[in-house]
Amino acid sequence: MVEFSPQVIDTIIRAAALLGAGFAMIAGIGPGIGQGYAAGKAVESVARDPEARGNIITTMLLGQAVAESTGIYSLVIAIVLIFTI
Amino acid sequence: MKYINDPGRMQIEIIKKTYLIASIPILYSLISGNFESLLGFIFGLVISTLILRLRVINIQKALDMSEGKAETFIRNRYFIEYGIYFVVLVVARKNPSLNFLATAVGLFMMKFTVIMWAILDMARGGLNKKLEEYKDLKDDKIEKGGK
Repeated sequence: MVEFSPQVIDTIIRAAALLGAGFAMIAGIGPGIGQGYAAGKAVESVARDPEARGNIITTMLLGQAVAESTGIYSLVIAIVLIFTI
Repeated sequence: MKYINDPGRMQIEIIKKTYLIASIPILYSLISGNFESLLGFIFGLVISTLILRLRVINIQKALDMSEGKAETFIRNRYFIEYGIYFVVLVVARKNPSLNFLATAVGLFMMKFTVIMWAILDMARGGLNKKLEEYKDLKDDKIEKGGK
């Protein structure tokens, strides 16, 4: 059976943590794409009904504020993984 | 929601409600003497408020653009905001006088308020609907009893 020295195990753990942080950051891309798509549709809606501009801005603001939280979750996890180990 | 047609007023209401809810953990950490958490929480809260303001400005700008341009603009701005969040969290992690988790919670307070507000609004709407149904049922019964 192959036995690893503590240094090697430490390096593997560090590498795995950094890899995990990288994977966690993938979750940050989704909200960006979604928010962009929502903005495009909002422009289309304002062009169709200019009087609803205020309503559209508020709805979009609330939607974007909530959609962003998943991105921040991933960021928090990535930073914990990077700095704790 | 009451001010759905007025983004400026809505923004002020969100900020007011967030600070009202945030006063509970702020008071708790003040009384318990946990100043690292207090500073971290206030730091996150202030950044989250400023980012909300930035987002309103960005959305207003984006609505004057064409569809494709607005999409790209908002996407780029999101990544800039993401960068700001990253810097804030790294600063909170590196600085010993700021609590990292408290900063993260401070950043999430605005989202928490919006979600809670929406849930309470939905619950209030549902409750009002049920009350009206109950009143109608009661009126029908009274009418039938009278006849």
